[in-house]
Amino acid sequence: MSHDHSHDHDPLEKGTALRVRALEELLVAKGLVTSEALDTVISHYENNVGPRNGASVVAKAWVDADFKARLLADGPATLEALGFKGFQGEHMRVIENTPDVHNMVVCTLCSCYPWPLLGLPPAWFKSMSYRARAVSEPRAVLADFGVAVPADTSVRVWDSTAEVRYLVMPMRPAGTDVLNEADLAALVTRDGMIGTALV
Amino acid sequence: MDGIHDMGGMQGFGPVRPVEEDFKFSADWERRVFGLTQALGGITPFNVDEFRRQIERIPPAEYLNTLYFEKWLIALEWFLQDRGLVSAEELAASAKLFDADTAGREPVDGAALLAILGEGVELEYPRDTAVPAFAEGATVRVKLRHDVSHNRSPRYLRGRTGTIIADIGVFQFPDTVAQNIGTNPQHLYTVCFAAADLWGGEAEAAGDEVLADLMESYLEPV
Repeated sequence: MSHDHSHDHDPLEKGTALRVRALEELLVAKGLVTSEALDTVISHYENNVGPRNGASVVAKAWVDADFKARLLADGPATLEALGFKGFQGEHMRVIENTPDVHNMVVCTLCSCYPWPLLGLPPAWFKSMSYRARAVSEPRAVLADFGVAVPADTSVRVWDSTAEVRYLVMPMRPAGTDVLNEADLAALVTRDGMIGTALV
Repeated sequence: MDGIHDMGGMQGFGPVRPVEEDFKFSADWERRVFGLTQALGGITPFNVDEFRRQIERIPPAEYLNTLYFEKWLIALEWFLQDRGLVSAEELAASAKLFDADTAGREPVDGAALLAILGEGVELEYPRDTAVPAFAEGATVRVKLRHDVSHNRSPRYLRGRTGTIIADIGVFQFPDTVAQNIGTNPQHLYTVCFAAADLWGGEAEAAGDEVLADLMESYLEPV
């Protein structure tokens, strides 16, 4: 096998697909699950929950200094007031990038991720390489993303080892004073909120 | 346990390969495993730390050779067998061989499941539930350990010294929650480590830092 897990050529997929289908049918036959419930939860996390949630929070913080202060001081309460709460996001904190500090987030032990704000994690976030290297050579990992952080900016890597889930607030790009909140939200990328991209 | 899952600082995995249009699910079976896990969590039942513990018990070579959602599938099949809901024979035969005791395990419909997931799990306790042993600004060392159970104290931090920058509050203790032997609420701290204190001369930059959220039981005073 190659040392990264390509999703296109997984020789196990066919067998695993059959195994999963059989398991679901068995559990439905036993009355333990309904396929309707699975369809609903899959559709929700695939279509309704995603990085646009986090982007709306970041944009609001960029235009509203009071909101930003509350968001940074008490993430869980401030986000819950906006309706962002739930499984894998019971305790979310927002950390702010500045000219002096660039933040990035990893989960070295599994793949913890702020589901209510960003949806389900991308494949690279779950990859062995990212989990292994983000803490020990973050600048080299950032280079894999085409990002160069200046030498005089500290890189702070947040390892999600407990139940706090972190969202990075990127720096507001220069020259965006004329943009409204919705236009600003459109500038905020998923990777920018993990800390592997600049906005 | 000191398993393959504890990957921080490991070398040899090659570059990270971000792609422009990344995917949440690479195949439909991954969607179904995700859905099954959410639907079964409450009725099997199992908690997140028990789930993580089962994934950590996957043998290292298998762990490295299975996809993310395959690991979830392995854990799911273990829980279903452990709780007596499904047998190994049934999994092998892909056929129902006995009726599971479904009393108290009635499946919830999609709307109810979304409501449960939207509410989340109560993980935190009132701050005065436990007296903090450490104050913000304190220097602490991550305790050495080599136990075979579940913990959230990564190997690359053990024995290292850092500074508490936040007392986040009182949370349940994953080590005992994973074994279903109690929640042992205790303070959770964000601890800041200088990169040079973790990686020596190979640290990329003098000012870089790693932060981790560590349970009080993982720490000792310096």
